[in-house]
Amino acid sequence: MMGGTAGYLASRLVTTVLIVFGAMLLLFSLSVIVPGDPATALIGPQATAAYKAQVIAEMGLDQPVHIRLVRFFSAVLAGDLGTDALTGRRVATVVGSVLPYTFLLTFLAIGLAVLIGVPLGCFAATNRGSVFDHVLAFISVAFIAIPSFVIAIFLLLIFTIWLDWLPVLGTGTAGDFVDQAKRTILPTVALALGWIGFIARLVRSSMLEVMGEPHIRTMRAYGIAPWLITYKYALKNAAIPTIAILGMGVGRLLGGAVLVEIVFARPGLGRLIYDAISARNYPVLQGAVLVVVLVFVITNLIVDLSYSAIDPRIRTQAGREALPR
Amino acid sequence: MNPLVTIRGLCVDAATSAGTAHLLRGVDLDIGRGRIVGVVGESGSGKTTLASALLRLLPANISRISGEIRFDGEDLLTLDSAAMSALRGTRIAMIFQDPMTALNPLFTIGTHLVDVQQRGTAGLSRRDALTRAEAMLTTVGIPDPKRRLSAYPHQLSGGMRQRVMIAMALLVEPDLLLADEPTTALDATVEAQIVQLLSDLRKDFAGSILFISHHLGLVAELCDDLCVMYAGTVVETGPVAEVLAQPKHPYTAALLACEIDDGDTGRLTSIAGEVPSALSTPPGCVFASRCSHRVPLCDHAPPPFEQLGTRGTACLRHRDLAS
Repeated sequence: MMGGTAGYLASRLVTTVLIVFGAMLLLFSLSVIVPGDPATALIGPQATAAYKAQVIAEMGLDQPVHIRLVRFFSAVLAGDLGTDALTGRRVATVVGSVLPYTFLLTFLAIGLAVLIGVPLGCFAATNRGSVFDHVLAFISVAFIAIPSFVIAIFLLLIFTIWLDWLPVLGTGTAGDFVDQAKRTILPTVALALGWIGFIARLVRSSMLEVMGEPHIRTMRAYGIAPWLITYKYALKNAAIPTIAILGMGVGRLLGGAVLVEIVFARPGLGRLIYDAISARNYPVLQGAVLVVVLVFVITNLIVDLSYSAIDPRIRTQAGREALPR
Repeated sequence: MNPLVTIRGLCVDAATSAGTAHLLRGVDLDIGRGRIVGVVGESGSGKTTLASALLRLLPANISRISGEIRFDGEDLLTLDSAAMSALRGTRIAMIFQDPMTALNPLFTIGTHLVDVQQRGTAGLSRRDALTRAEAMLTTVGIPDPKRRLSAYPHQLSGGMRQRVMIAMALLVEPDLLLADEPTTALDATVEAQIVQLLSDLRKDFAGSILFISHHLGLVAELCDDLCVMYAGTVVETGPVAEVLAQPKHPYTAALLACEIDDGDTGRLTSIAGEVPSALSTPPGCVFASRCSHRVPLCDHAPPPFEQLGTRGTACLRHRDLAS
């Protein structure tokens, strides 16, 4: 059984590395294929030809493609994401400065969604057809359908402008934890609401399926308390599809919270990528996207490994993709 | 001594897309204290519904339950859900037909066996519960029980899983054990082992057992009393040996004729005709359409269930047929 686990882990790691390499290759091709050269973007079209040639040489753009490819890969593997074409700062520093805000918002939002969505879904499943079930279904679908930046604008209007309960814009005064926390509440809620609805729907349908299984009937026949049946025996069975979606959710929020970041005037990876694209700032774009890819694949690796922690049957079928259902 | 369970006029209807299905049409049955009552009948005769009704764990589409199920004097059908739940897994336990799906694949055997005990015995520590579980696994013939406690269901064979289910049932020391075709899903060799185990366990188990099977031979081997069901009704009851030696109901007789004996010439006999649909209500005896002793009166009204000493039957002509 240990061999199975190790084999599984190894095959997942290989896949992960391949995905990251694939992403790096795509990012590199982007800077080669896309029209408009980075040097012009940096120094402007009025620059002299001599100066432009100098900048091109500094950026290594005069080298043949394969040399640039090798340089790019070896630099990234050494942890060097390049230099910001506009400011001259290290890309790693630029990305690193916004990363904590993105991480904080992503994991808080997903955490909140799990904390609220899972019990809601369980309750709806165990009270199927009740008024609560119907109301929850309506609200869930509504929040899934409304884009998070629209929710963000409404939250801002209600809680900041009308009620004046929470300050919102920016990330707060450095070092003032309470101020920073206050300013994190609304963006987190804006991002989480849709996910709460999504997770509640997902958990509900998974739970309904599990609750019909014979092993749950066994537990009922032995008079096991309903809460124990729901939250111990059934929820663990319903967890796998939910966790799979959480992995996707983290990936989606990492680079996709850009509109919410703009509404609340917060720095973040999404915004960094957006700005980099607008400015044709390829090094920053490559660095930021690479970090998103990296965090995404690591999250999904953890997700995959958590399946085998939950389901002993996956542990024994070493490295196989198929989940028993 | 009055019986542990007295069922009178138990009717169970289910709402289906095709109309109301009559799953049980007025069942009368006694389960004596310490007795093993075998329930036989074809598929769809209501055997499983009977067991589920005793636990009041019927499917969601059940539209009506009437009659009474007295368990130690108390009518289970009038108990509130908390009181009913209090009986489950303490005084009434159940073994299911398919051991492959009856255990949760994500939890160890030990977790299952600990939780059913802790539910019944307040303050029982996990360690003590595991010790008891280990001893019980030994009793039901599971080798290396300590290791099995930390095994997951998929790591055990079907026969082993059914032994675990039996251990689970015995751990709660029930007054009534419901065994719903516990060997049907197993292959013949394993089936024989499980029957042997159940028969061995009888010596130590003081409670009553309702043993459901479609296998008459198995019931003859294991049970004290026999209850023959047909299309949602009980057609005949009585001590196994007596009923099998001299059946009073034509259906029992026909069922016996279908059993494969060693002396048979190889031709399989079957009962001509079909079981009436659960959706329809025949005006008279439910077996009349297939009965070779049918008279016009049989189609007139359902025959009453007549109790004659230890024997009981629902046939108008049982006196004529005996002679």
